Amino acid sequence: MNGEAILPYLIIIPLFGAFSMPIVSLAGKKAREAWAVLISALTLVVASAVFYHVWDTKEIIVYTLGAKTPFGQGVDFPIRIVWEVDLLGAIMALTVAFVSLMAILYSIGYMKHDTGLDKYYTLILVLELGMLGIAITGDLFNFYVFLEIMSIASYALVAFRNDTWEGIEAGIKYMFVGSIAGSFILLGIALLYGQYGTLTMGYIALKILENPTVTAKVALALFIAGLLFKSGASPVHMWLADAHPAAPSSISAMLSGLVIKVGGIYALARILFSIYTPMGHVVVLKSYLQPYINMTAVGWLIIIFACLTLIIGNAMAVIQTDMKRLLAYSSVGQIGYILLGLGIGLAAYGTHAGEVALAGAIYHTVNHALMKALLFLVAGAVIHEVGTRNLNELSGLAKTMPKTTFAFLIGAAAIVGLPPLNGFASKWLIYESSAIYNPVLGAIAIIGTAFCTAAYVRVLYTFFGRPSERVANAKDPETSMMLPMILLVLAIIVMGLFPWQISDKVMIPAARMLEQFRLEYINALMGLLGGA
Amino acid sequence: MDVMANIVYPVAGLIGIYAFVSLASLVWEGIDRKLVARMQRRVGPPLLQPIYDFLKLASKETIVPNTANYMFRAAPVLALATAIALLAYTPMGFEPLLSSRGDVIVFIYLLTLICFFKILGAISSGSPYAKIGAAREAAIMVSREPAMMLAIFAIMWRLGKLGVEKPFSMGVFYQHNIWEIGTPLSFVGAVILLYVFVIWLASEIEAGYFNIPDAEEEIAEGLLAEYSGRYLALLKLTKALKTYIAASLVVSIFFPWGIAGYLNLSGLSADIVNMLFHTLKVFILLFAVQSVFRATTGRLRVTQAVELLWKNVFPASLIGTLLIAMEVIM
Repeated sequence: MNGEAILPYLIIIPLFGAFSMPIVSLAGKKAREAWAVLISALTLVVASAVFYHVWDTKEIIVYTLGAKTPFGQGVDFPIRIVWEVDLLGAIMALTVAFVSLMAILYSIGYMKHDTGLDKYYTLILVLELGMLGIAITGDLFNFYVFLEIMSIASYALVAFRNDTWEGIEAGIKYMFVGSIAGSFILLGIALLYGQYGTLTMGYIALKILENPTVTAKVALALFIAGLLFKSGASPVHMWLADAHPAAPSSISAMLSGLVIKVGGIYALARILFSIYTPMGHVVVLKSYLQPYINMTAVGWLIIIFACLTLIIGNAMAVIQTDMKRLLAYSSVGQIGYILLGLGIGLAAYGTHAGEVALAGAIYHTVNHALMKALLFLVAGAVIHEVGTRNLNELSGLAKTMPKTTFAFLIGAAAIVGLPPLNGFASKWLIYESSAIYNPVLGAIAIIGTAFCTAAYVRVLYTFFGRPSERVANAKDPETSMMLPMILLVLAIIVMGLFPWQISDKVMIPAARMLEQFRLEYINALMGLLGGA
Repeated sequence: MDVMANIVYPVAGLIGIYAFVSLASLVWEGIDRKLVARMQRRVGPPLLQPIYDFLKLASKETIVPNTANYMFRAAPVLALATAIALLAYTPMGFEPLLSSRGDVIVFIYLLTLICFFKILGAISSGSPYAKIGAAREAAIMVSREPAMMLAIFAIMWRLGKLGVEKPFSMGVFYQHNIWEIGTPLSFVGAVILLYVFVIWLASEIEAGYFNIPDAEEEIAEGLLAEYSGRYLALLKLTKALKTYIAASLVVSIFFPWGIAGYLNLSGLSADIVNMLFHTLKVFILLFAVQSVFRATTGRLRVTQAVELLWKNVFPASLIGTLLIAMEVIM
């Protein structure tokens, strides 16, 4: 199987699906839903094929748009847009495609009382498209375009129920904050382009290695600021706590499971490791007393935000009475763990602890996408059936909605990190590496988990209590809503049964590829030069 | 052959141990009731009374409240299943069946999970009495575990320094023990930790001071208020198993010596003799911690118990841990 041949379909299929949606919608409601499911299922097939190819060959796929190689006639630098997919990108693409399919399946039942659904399905496919684009792109401006595609689709989807006050309020908040963050990133890209004259990630990396200027540092600061906004890290997480509860639950599942990870964490990892490669800076340049960018300091910066994020996010989750708001704050807390892994991966670069931390961060990204998607889908089912998000009114839900609460039980146990489920292994990798690197960080991570446990035990305490009048007439939702939940529960359990195999065979290789000990990301691009 | 060694033998061993422990722990309960009765100048029930109780409960009609959800039925089964799984990680006079690096965490996790399932089952009944009992159980659980975890991790870490093949495993205690370090500091530290573990054991098995979550007189059996028939039988059996397991932990940390070596036994017969000797030690420990403690003290209020665990036991654990660690650190 040829990786370069199948990669474009990852964009072509959802793009075609989204653009043809208004026409297909003319054929009626059923056709519209079937089309959305079909398109996202096909995307999942392509994403699986891409993932399998990268995982199997351990090679980075480089795809050039419009020509055989990215290099122009007679010049030795890339002039075309390239897509570069390493194992991390492939993992993200697979996760995005899987969770999006679940969310679209779920929407069939969940959104049937809403109007304007042709726009809804178009937007959800555009959202998926944007995230897939971010995961596979190797071009900085192309990255920005996909980031904006993703962001604008999610602004629109947060405010989709525009007859509710909170949808509009959250949408406006999210849009203002997100646009500012996006403009930071654009400014960073402009600075890098002005300084180095290229937008291809691999080639900029080479240029920064040769000549790390102040401009590059300013651009890095802008990228970090913008992407921490997008990922909902702590001082700037306020949009998230409003946007996630206000959005339809299928969208909350995608926002919390995917958008903050692909648009925030993944992009941050890509920029920190692939453009500002710590390898070159630390080992080579330091020993020759050349100027370099101190990536250890950057790592510590991320770690500080991570610690803030995981304490504030999890602690705020404990005191919520709104179910979806609780889940949103819990997402902030879990982003803290992922950032902690990323930060340690950067600060402890080249050591065993750093590699384990990075693998843990990648693993937790995938796991959290699955379990938070599940939890938001459960919350959606509860809202759909009972009509309230207030936890105080939802006492005794287990009596009338047994399957839904069971799914919640599994999701909550996984997110706390109980051993037979998938959250355990990924959190364990992060605890272990942080305890090795700096015991204080390990202690902070444990405190975060204690808060997280308290928050979820509180919800379980409510769900399994005495049935209140409000829930007396509720029942489990229809099949199209149950099916995605069941599939996610299965995914969580199956992934939980083989944690160390997954970690050794997928996550550690992904971390190694990202670390670029032999500048793989740059070489994959520049290696094409000879063949031109 | 690999399948035999990895799957068949452990499963057979687990079934054997489960059969033995459920019998032994129920018999212990009979002995305990007899001893307490004698201390109060009563005759007391026959030794096998808990087994008769178990059979009678199992044959009774089981009533499920209207307000109960599926967890009410699932929790007793899950609790017992967890207890049985825990037996595979419990030192029984010989190395646990599934001994591996770091399995101390599995042990603590499963032991806590039993309590958690009990709590979940109780709140699932919809009865306010059970809910109060569950809240008390949770408060005490959160208070008692940190002292124990600190102590056990410190001991494991210290024994790991003496050179063991599987650090932080429950099998470590049969290679080295805490007394053989032999210095005055470590001796004092070990005695303090013994105190910590004895109080922990008393609160784990809810004896004496700590008979709080199930307090019959105050909140009508608390956690178990709504359970009857088969489910109650399962929960009683789980409690008996948990008593034995928790006491096994303390015995294997502080008194791990076996007698098979003196009798020149080896192989399976050595394991059986050691297991019987271990059971004797468990009974002696439980006599002190359960029977005597139960007969001589009343219960505390829940606030007093939490205060005792945080202000007395946890600092003791901290001091004992520091004393044990001091020689290595300095």
